[in-house]
Amino acid sequence: MLARVLEANGIATTAISMVREHTEKQKPPRALFVPFPFGHALGRANDPELQHRVLRAALDLLAEPAGPVLRDFPDDTDPGDQPPAPPQASAIAATAGAPADPKIEAMQMLPHHEQWLGANGGRTAFGLSGIPASRCGSVVSFLERFAAGEDADMSERSPDLPLPNFIRYCADDLKALYVEGYMAMKPAADGDEIAQWFWAETAVGQLLRRVRDRLDASDDARWKAAAFGVAR
Amino acid sequence: MPRLDRLPPPNRTNLLNLPVQVNDTSPFRPLTKPLANCRLAIVTTVGVHRRGDRPFGPADQSYRVIPSSTPPIDIIQSHTSLGFDRVPIMRDLNVSFPIDRIRELAARGEVELAPNHYSFMGAQRDLLRIESETGPEVGRRLRDDGADVALITPT
Repeated sequence: MLARVLEANGIATTAISMVREHTEKQKPPRALFVPFPFGHALGRANDPELQHRVLRAALDLLAEPAGPVLRDFPDDTDPGDQPPAPPQASAIAATAGAPADPKIEAMQMLPHHEQWLGANGGRTAFGLSGIPASRCGSVVSFLERFAAGEDADMSERSPDLPLPNFIRYCADDLKALYVEGYMAMKPAADGDEIAQWFWAETAVGQLLRRVRDRLDASDDARWKAAAFGVAR
Repeated sequence: MPRLDRLPPPNRTNLLNLPVQVNDTSPFRPLTKPLANCRLAIVTTVGVHRRGDRPFGPADQSYRVIPSSTPPIDIIQSHTSLGFDRVPIMRDLNVSFPIDRIRELAARGEVELAPNHYSFMGAQRDLLRIESETGPEVGRRLRDDGADVALITPT
């Protein structure tokens, strides 16, 4: 839809398509269907050569004299080595030996996260809540109070940001802290392994399940939507 | 692929429930000059934006401007749906938002870069405002930027 709108406004577009069934119906002017899972439009992380092949194939569609054009990525890359989607919290049972104190655990993740930052030129998915990683202990305490049913809030939340949205950003930041910290420890880990570890073995994973439960118990659709994004 | 039959049931159901427009034809604007002389912008639905910008919220049909000179370290994603694996984009922004790759193309003289990229939130159900308001607005801004070509990347 976006491609059609931009094209109608005078911009030549070429789009990467993840779901061929949708693209066939929508008929954007030019689309390259790629055989990769969601989250991998350009193929694979840290594979610039494959990314350039995808990019080139998408840009090549601009040479077509008429459209709509829907072409399959002409490549024999095997998509089967990447899971289509990570497992969800509901599919992963907590292990009995998970640490009990999420605050201590989160503080212990900090050096691993700093290691990630150092190895990746500072690139990080952390930062949606606006609260620095060094204060992750306060974020955990806030979420613990919220999950326990208290009237919890943080002074850093902007008044125009609804509480459930802020909670979602806090949860996203904690996930980024843990996932990136884990990748610093185990650079070869894939999304499946990381999800298994996070939801089964970490105290923060269990805390986020409890946060989800309180959000989900609300009658407010915005709370329920946030619950769906925190854990499902 | 992701082939629908490979997705876990909740993700598949989610996807099948997404309203999809059905069209018979498409607007089409043929390129009138070589790609090397065209200015390219990325327009993405992956929900990235500059670090200081307001994060996207649920059902957010607004957009964010990302100047093409923005260092990748200053780009963050607030589309954090559990329906896709975020690990790849955490490892490498370019897997969804190929900002380094198109800079490499530009450095090789294969294309010019427009001054701004544009970003929308992904996984939207109601697209009315994007279709009637924010989408056309980005189209106008791209024209004002002197952009000729937009590469559209999804989640």
